Amino acid sequence: MKNFKINHRNKSGFEVLDLQGELDAHTASQLEDVLKSLINKNKSNIIVNFKDLDYIASAGLGVFMAYIEDVRSIGGDIKLTNMNEKVYNVFDLLGFPTLYDIFEDEQHAVAKFLNDSE
Amino acid sequence: MNIPNGNRDFQSSFELKTVLETSRMLVESRDTSFILNNLLLILMGRLLVTKAAIFIYDPVADKYTLKKSKGYQGYSEEKEYQILSNDEQKKLAYFPVSDAQNVFPDVLHDEENSFYFNLRTSNNHHGFLLLGPKANKKPYEPHEIDFVEGLTIISTAALVNSQLFNELNKTYRNLDRRIHELNTLFDLSKEFNLLVDREKISRIFKFALLGQLFIRKFFLIYKNQDNISLLASSGLTSDPDNSHVEHIFSVPNQEVFLIDDEFKQQNPWVEENEIIALIGISIQNEKVAVIGVGERVNKIPFSENDFNFLKSLANLAAISIQKTYFLEERIDKERMEEELSIAKSIQQGLLPDPIPPVPGAELAAKTISSREVGGDYFDVARSPDGNTIFAIADVTGKGVPAALLMANMQSMLHLLLPVDISFAEATERVNNIIFKNTPSDKFITFFWAKYLSDHKILRYVNAGHNPPLLLRHDKAEFEELDKGGLLLGALETIAPYEQTDIQLNPNDLLVCYTDGVDEAMHPIDQKEFGTERLKESILKNRDKTCEEILDGIVQDVNAFSSNQLTDDLTLLVLKACE
Repeated sequence: MKNFKINHRNKSGFEVLDLQGELDAHTASQLEDVLKSLINKNKSNIIVNFKDLDYIASAGLGVFMAYIEDVRSIGGDIKLTNMNEKVYNVFDLLGFPTLYDIFEDEQHAVAKFLNDSE
Repeated sequence: MNIPNGNRDFQSSFELKTVLETSRMLVESRDTSFILNNLLLILMGRLLVTKAAIFIYDPVADKYTLKKSKGYQGYSEEKEYQILSNDEQKKLAYFPVSDAQNVFPDVLHDEENSFYFNLRTSNNHHGFLLLGPKANKKPYEPHEIDFVEGLTIISTAALVNSQLFNELNKTYRNLDRRIHELNTLFDLSKEFNLLVDREKISRIFKFALLGQLFIRKFFLIYKNQDNISLLASSGLTSDPDNSHVEHIFSVPNQEVFLIDDEFKQQNPWVEENEIIALIGISIQNEKVAVIGVGERVNKIPFSENDFNFLKSLANLAAISIQKTYFLEERIDKERMEEELSIAKSIQQGLLPDPIPPVPGAELAAKTISSREVGGDYFDVARSPDGNTIFAIADVTGKGVPAALLMANMQSMLHLLLPVDISFAEATERVNNIIFKNTPSDKFITFFWAKYLSDHKILRYVNAGHNPPLLLRHDKAEFEELDKGGLLLGALETIAPYEQTDIQLNPNDLLVCYTDGVDEAMHPIDQKEFGTERLKESILKNRDKTCEEILDGIVQDVNAFSSNQLTDDLTLLVLKACE
């Protein structure tokens, strides 16, 4: 079985998802389930922390594409943080920085959320 | 010029320093725009020039494009211009604007002190630097011209470097993208192989496409047998209705179809959902799926490579989806076969086993189903008066419907057996019940008889069944037992059924059969086995036991049809004893 885990925690009132391991075609649906349940509960200010994510495949990126509009339509956003270089390269390669805020760390993401809401 | 020598030396070293500093900075820069801008600003600052511009040469189109312009009115950056009046000018280090082919209005009034400087490397011409007059209107000094030339050469080298670097970088990124696409394909083909869940395959396919192509709007329509349905979608305002789905599936003939205005008019759903391209996927020349995609989120148009990737991925998904349907069909078929085999054993339980002995006669009977279950029926049973009743019947049609009716028939006969009514009357009741219980296109041909063993009398009613053949022990001709009435289930009984008594003598032989015997087909000639061949088969074996006569007929029919029976086949053979 492939190693992939999602930990959900709260930071300053924002939903933080810590991804760990490999996010690929096989494990993408786990992330989908978590995002869906957050959206259903109207929890739309989401920070995804990639610190312990070793690998991401297109299907993993696709989950973000599929739910970003849903999240934004209820007034929230998905902000991405702490990517290692390999993971960031994949996001960059496919053009994601134009659509998503990507930060070095959670603190910046929180600051951006607070800024946005002002 | 009356600049003192010392001052001039100072100025030269100052200029040299500028050139050196600039060159160091430029060599490290990979930003084309910065390099060009820097060249203009240094020159304008050092020489107090208020107008300057840079044109870059495109050797393929033989055109100049204005890249940077400062101080000139009426020029547009990124616009193309004609500059040269002859090719020789490409080799000059510089020449006055008045020698150029096209003198622009804003250059005109000071063209005397304006120059084109060649942006060149040792082999190639890369464009021109257009330098306007100095602010103090004085002509350029030779050392100033040298300074411009030197700075131009260094800047050009840096420009070429940066262009090369950008080109390499682009190639590298493209390569990276291809590798990533291949990885995605590889990943998904592995994943799809493990999956038998259609919904899951469609979803993974969706996510991979959304991520790799950077799109939000997507749908997958799949055709299975005659049913076209939406298997996956993302970002749609509503699901398409059936007519839209069918239209989408029917229109694009080519693999990639870019939605045009005509299509949008025909299919408002596609327009509403901002779908821009449809991609048809075929397996073995049969179209099985259509994928629709919206534009890329960053508006960059799809390249041929993108579509190729999409097609490869879609092919993988389509094959895996097809596999899931095949698997379901196989499971359904296996379940059906299992049920049929249970039905067959139930049906076989309805036939007499073992066949009870018949006082005063010898009897053999057998039914062979062409399918798992069939509509042929025979029965042999003792009646309450101690005599034997036997029956043979054929239900129209085959398979499960025929078998159901046959089971119905069997239960009716056994219910009527102990009832004290005449044979003709019993037939009438059976007919009325079957007529009521069955659709109008279902009939049963039916023959039954009671053998009164004490007197060797055969009392029979034939309701539309193939007349059983009676072969008297001392004759070579057959009699046909065809008296009775209409086949069962066609009409409510109007005229009563007629029962007939026949006196049998020892070794008189009766052969009852269903149409599986006489209508057995020769596989090549397309001829039927027929009653003549049946009679020959009986005559050949008439002295043998009933069992052997029956087997003889089955063998002859099998040989005739090369063992390819298309209908149920039933035989019942009775021979009167001493």
